[in-house]
Amino acid sequence: MKILLIEDDREAASYLIQALDEAGHVTHHASDGETGYAMASGMDYDVLIVDRMLPRRDGLSIIESLRAEGDKTPVLILSALGEVDDRVTGLRAGGDDYLTKPYAFTELLARIEVLARRSSPAEAATNYSVGGLSLDRLSRKVERDGEAILLQPREFRLLEYLMKHAGKVVTRTMLLENVWDYHFDPQTNVIDVHMSRLRSKIDKGYDNPLLHTVRGAGYMIRD
Amino acid sequence: MSRFAQVWRTSTVRLTATFIAIFVVFAILLMGFIGWQSSVQIQRQQTDDIDREVRLFQRIEATQGIRALAFALNRLSGQPGPGVYYLGDASGQYLLGNMSDVPPDVLIDPGVYSFDYDRPDPLGEDAVGLPDRPKRSGVAVVRSIELGNGMRLVVGRDVVERRGYSAIILQSFLVGVVGIILFSVVAGGVTARRVLKRIDTIRDTSTKIMSGNLSERVPITKRNDEFDGLARNLNAMLDRIEQLLQGLKEVTDNVAHDLKTPLTRLRNQAEGALRDTASPETREKALETVIAESDKLIQTFNALLMIARVEAGAPSGALSEIDVSAIVADVAELYTPVAEDEGIEISTDIAEGVSLRANRELIGQAMVNLLENAIKYAKPEDGSAGKIAVSLKRASGNVAIVVADNGPGIAEADRSRVLERFVRLEKSRSEPGSGLGLALVNAVARLHGGSFRIEDNGPGVRAVLEVPGS
Repeated sequence: MKILLIEDDREAASYLIQALDEAGHVTHHASDGETGYAMASGMDYDVLIVDRMLPRRDGLSIIESLRAEGDKTPVLILSALGEVDDRVTGLRAGGDDYLTKPYAFTELLARIEVLARRSSPAEAATNYSVGGLSLDRLSRKVERDGEAILLQPREFRLLEYLMKHAGKVVTRTMLLENVWDYHFDPQTNVIDVHMSRLRSKIDKGYDNPLLHTVRGAGYMIRD
Repeated sequence: MSRFAQVWRTSTVRLTATFIAIFVVFAILLMGFIGWQSSVQIQRQQTDDIDREVRLFQRIEATQGIRALAFALNRLSGQPGPGVYYLGDASGQYLLGNMSDVPPDVLIDPGVYSFDYDRPDPLGEDAVGLPDRPKRSGVAVVRSIELGNGMRLVVGRDVVERRGYSAIILQSFLVGVVGIILFSVVAGGVTARRVLKRIDTIRDTSTKIMSGNLSERVPITKRNDEFDGLARNLNAMLDRIEQLLQGLKEVTDNVAHDLKTPLTRLRNQAEGALRDTASPETREKALETVIAESDKLIQTFNALLMIARVEAGAPSGALSEIDVSAIVADVAELYTPVAEDEGIEISTDIAEGVSLRANRELIGQAMVNLLENAIKYAKPEDGSAGKIAVSLKRASGNVAIVVADNGPGIAEADRSRVLERFVRLEKSRSEPGSGLGLALVNAVARLHGGSFRIEDNGPGVRAVLEVPGS
């Protein structure tokens, strides 16, 4: 994946570039807003990672200009501002996701991988399948190896989100944000409990588990 | 700056001066009006007097003849007083009277006139026509008539007396105004000094407070006047500030204490990982602990920041019409499996379709904190099953979210204390948590103009978040 990182903090940037490189991504770096905007509009990237507060031009104005020019490259906003309305203004400016500093690298990686996928057309599929597990979004039916699985509405949405991003790591906060639409940190392992319920419904009694826990990051559904 | 200059600069004195000026202007207008009215009145009276006398003389002349008239005129002329008389023959030549010289117009054309004349000494017995006697100029208002035999009679009044009356009015007016000004200056000065003294005490107190003695208070007198009202308000404000500072100090102490412990752990782990004898597995484990500990620290800081932001006031534009019923139900549903794993049963009694003008994230977070807290503590001492009851009700214009458990509860003395930051009761020290959860709920309640309180659930805790309904 080709990524443009617009971030003025050199230390944070070099750490991110190295980590993204290890994860197999090519990262270009701009350390101020003007350069970042020039690079973003001059080249094709899969994902932009934009810090909100930048010298010479702030992050939100870069995103607004890009969107006004019809550039639909997914954008992840990084910010030290984590208030509810900061997130709202960030997303309103045209950002696709918002991550508050400090963040775990695994969280950032999971989010950009999901974002980059978002721009591909798989979005509109009406049913997903992974291994022997299939989910029909219209009839809201879930089957594994032809056997129907009964899920609660929330469990269905949880599985739907995981299967939509099959093969990608999905973090706990991503699940909380996308399945429950909340942006807070739960102190307890509330997501894990829901996941273990879901796992017992789809994986119990089968030899090859589909729902995997990725240590230190989150969950992934794959063959 | 001298004391006088200080007094002069007070607003009391300036106000007094303004009012004196306004008063003087009005007094002048009033006196002028009175003077003008009385002079008009006196003039009319004099004219009436003159006319009456003229009629009297006409009657005397008609009934008793010219001699009697002359006699009467002569007698009146000799009397002291404002009366002036002149009798002339048909050509206007002076015959008798206490006025020897009358302008010819007056004699030719009968009517009412006013003119200057040489006034004889009113005390003189034989005042008329003596050139060696001192004469004073006077002003006469007269009526002249032509008698039946063609003789001219002029009857009038010396108006110097009337002028004297005006002078008296003016004089008393001047005395009055000067008196008022003097009195006002003195009274204004005294008032200003008094006000200044009261203000000085307030200023002295504030100076003492600024130099660090926050327990100082503005003295309150027994007069119970507006200054005492002000002083009471100031003292109440100082009480509140002192309280807040005390709270701040406690928070700082607690932050220092509560953050030092995990930081020490963090450091120990990192040090352990660096030790030469450490195996790769211990290193990895130590690093994982380091990350977990720092995540916890970040979470604590986030919670602290969030409380601070919420306490600072509404995030702009973050209040919108939200479906509280859905939020409460959602969060209860989110936590039901967690509670079940702990052997706790969550029951809900949620009124449908309750909407509020509120911040969705904050109400959600408050609800999460309440439930996480309840799940932590819903462990009855007698070992029976834990129960949590979540309810949402509308009550007298308010919306009340109640999360009740059947755990050991909180002693009455501690119920308001647990709403403060970092306050963790002895028995919960062993539980994970930052001691910020309820403080945030409290801040969220206040942000929405509501209240948060801990009640007894007999046994257990009944946490009530009440917000005014829209």
